[in-house]
Amino acid sequence: MAILARLEQWKEQGVLSPDQHTLLSSLSRREPFSVFLELNLLLYAGILAFVAGLGWTVTTFSQQLGDVIIVTVLSAILAACVWYTFTRAAPWSAKEVPSPNLLFDYVLYLGALVWSVELAYLESRFHLLSGQWDLYLLATAALYFVLAYRFDNRFVLSLALSSLAAWFGLTISHIPSHQDATYRQYAIVYSLFIAAAGAITRRRDLKPHFFGTYLNIAANVLFWALLSGVFDRQNSTLWLVALLLACAASLAWGLVRRQFAFVAYAAVYGYIGISFVLLRNMNSGTAVLSYFVVTGAAMLIALVVIARRFGKEA
Amino acid sequence: MRAYSAAAEDSIDARNLLKDWLAESFITPAQYARLEPDTACDLRRTNIFLRIVLLLFTLIIVGAAAGLFFVVFLDRSSSQSTGIFLLICAAVSYAAAEFAVAQFRLYRYGIEEALVVASVAFLCGGMLSVLSSGMELLVPPACAIASLWIWHRFGLSYAFLAAMIFVVWLPDGWNVSHSAQHVVVAVLYALALIAIVAAPSRDHSIVEALLWLGIYVAINLQLSSVDLLEHWWRGPFSTADFSATFYWTTWILTWLLPPAILLRGVREKDRLVIATGTITAILTLITNKPYLGWPRHTWDPMLLGALLIATALLLRRWLASAPNGIRHGFTAQRLSAKDKHWMSIGSTAIGLVAPQAITPTPQPASPNPHFGGGDSGGAGASSDF
Repeated sequence: MAILARLEQWKEQGVLSPDQHTLLSSLSRREPFSVFLELNLLLYAGILAFVAGLGWTVTTFSQQLGDVIIVTVLSAILAACVWYTFTRAAPWSAKEVPSPNLLFDYVLYLGALVWSVELAYLESRFHLLSGQWDLYLLATAALYFVLAYRFDNRFVLSLALSSLAAWFGLTISHIPSHQDATYRQYAIVYSLFIAAAGAITRRRDLKPHFFGTYLNIAANVLFWALLSGVFDRQNSTLWLVALLLACAASLAWGLVRRQFAFVAYAAVYGYIGISFVLLRNMNSGTAVLSYFVVTGAAMLIALVVIARRFGKEA
Repeated sequence: MRAYSAAAEDSIDARNLLKDWLAESFITPAQYARLEPDTACDLRRTNIFLRIVLLLFTLIIVGAAAGLFFVVFLDRSSSQSTGIFLLICAAVSYAAAEFAVAQFRLYRYGIEEALVVASVAFLCGGMLSVLSSGMELLVPPACAIASLWIWHRFGLSYAFLAAMIFVVWLPDGWNVSHSAQHVVVAVLYALALIAIVAAPSRDHSIVEALLWLGIYVAINLQLSSVDLLEHWWRGPFSTADFSATFYWTTWILTWLLPPAILLRGVREKDRLVIATGTITAILTLITNKPYLGWPRHTWDPMLLGALLIATALLLRRWLASAPNGIRHGFTAQRLSAKDKHWMSIGSTAIGLVAPQAITPTPQPASPNPHFGGGDSGGAGASSDF
């Protein structure tokens, strides 16, 4: 039965009021049709393209344009963004606050990105902190956290977490290329730190809707770090135990909270870690393939059981 | 012909809408609890994360099982034997998918999807092994037909995408010019599009969007050239492979097609077709300079960004200025909880990666960084000036 026929039936049964029936029927017929998502994507792509061009131009023409022009232009854009956000912002609240308008979040995001470009330019030209680049990262991360919490902006929160990760000595998008022990330790400390920070802010009811962002990033960084420890072969058993503990915690969290991304993390990262340890000294192709058939089937059965018991809803 | 009844799929659509309306408070939790049983059906589904993991592990099992059988029984066998074995694997995989759907009523469950994906992969490998040299040109049409059947039977849109990719390889064996290859692919996609648009069947929004995009990519020589990456930043595109008439005709078409797609999407109120029209319009702007042989400038992305931002703002203002914020049946207001959900996921995922991807390569500021010293500015910060 098509949705319009169902709505008619539900109205006749008295489950839906006539007003609800009218509203839902028109929504089902795409009347009106919302282009909210499309407009947001256009704005996001526009901001990224603009900042990419800005950074590229500054990099290429820094000598020709001169410091004064570049710093003036960047500062003007930054000042305009700051003025716009502070004059348009709704009063602060610890709860989720909707954006005052469509543009607001993106102006703040633009300002944050331009801040990074300008800071990088100033340091590279004038060495204000004598190459102490990590202090810039820490200060920038702190600023972004303040802005994200003040203006309830997930884009800027992601920038803050990314900047903090950079300060910890890693770049989230490039983790696999840094598998040495030093980076691994920093990655673990980072993931535990942001998970704890996310939990504390959630417990204090401070923008609790940000918690998912914290937890997903923390989980992935932690799993990558532990996996790199397993791959390292030195103390790999210890790393494997740590990985399995993390997998168990992730699985439990995913099932209890019905957040199945964490079940998926536990299954995939755990399987990769265990398989690496069990297969690394196995030379027989038959044994390796048998391993994948048997363990793959075991994983499949376990996941089907989980899916049937917990994950029925799409 | 379809593995699932229209009534069952309608029930799933209805349930998804109910969830969306509940999230937007268009209905109350009590109403949802009353209406939800009316959308029950016998199909077994799971959430997206478990679906992906189930697909992954099923692929592992199928691949490993086929490999194990091959190693144990067919090691050092001829190419013909290997090919026949792979074709048998294709048949077995497909039969297993049908069994899983018929017996367990799996619907977008990952397992049956992996089995049909494996069946096409086995078919492709098997035919390549069995067919003698010169007969390989039968592989793309056979695999395209198999993919189309899977799309039709199971409703998996990515199977249609696979068929479109196989179609790209169709003209390779025909010994025709590069221009003719582009034309053949575009014409085949156009014929499919006409058939899809004319068919009075279920919602084919994704397929229509894919076909529009495929036609555009086949026509835009700056995108569909095999030398794309090599030529992208080096300068003017070589037109040696194409006649001047063909080259400039495609350039005109790259400007005509995006408005046509957008018009179609707006008329049908089809989100994916509108998105495709927007993407193709942006691609036309990006590839216009290489098409004309003009040099790129560092400020080109800024101009593009400003244009996108201005377009979004003008459109929003134009829609918002109408009574109730609705003009010609369109509104800039959010009406679906899904939009918010996708925005939330997107802002977290893309926000982490994109700023680093768009900024210059960083370099360490200090030769001996102590604690910290990230090698890249988070949030796009970089010391590369």
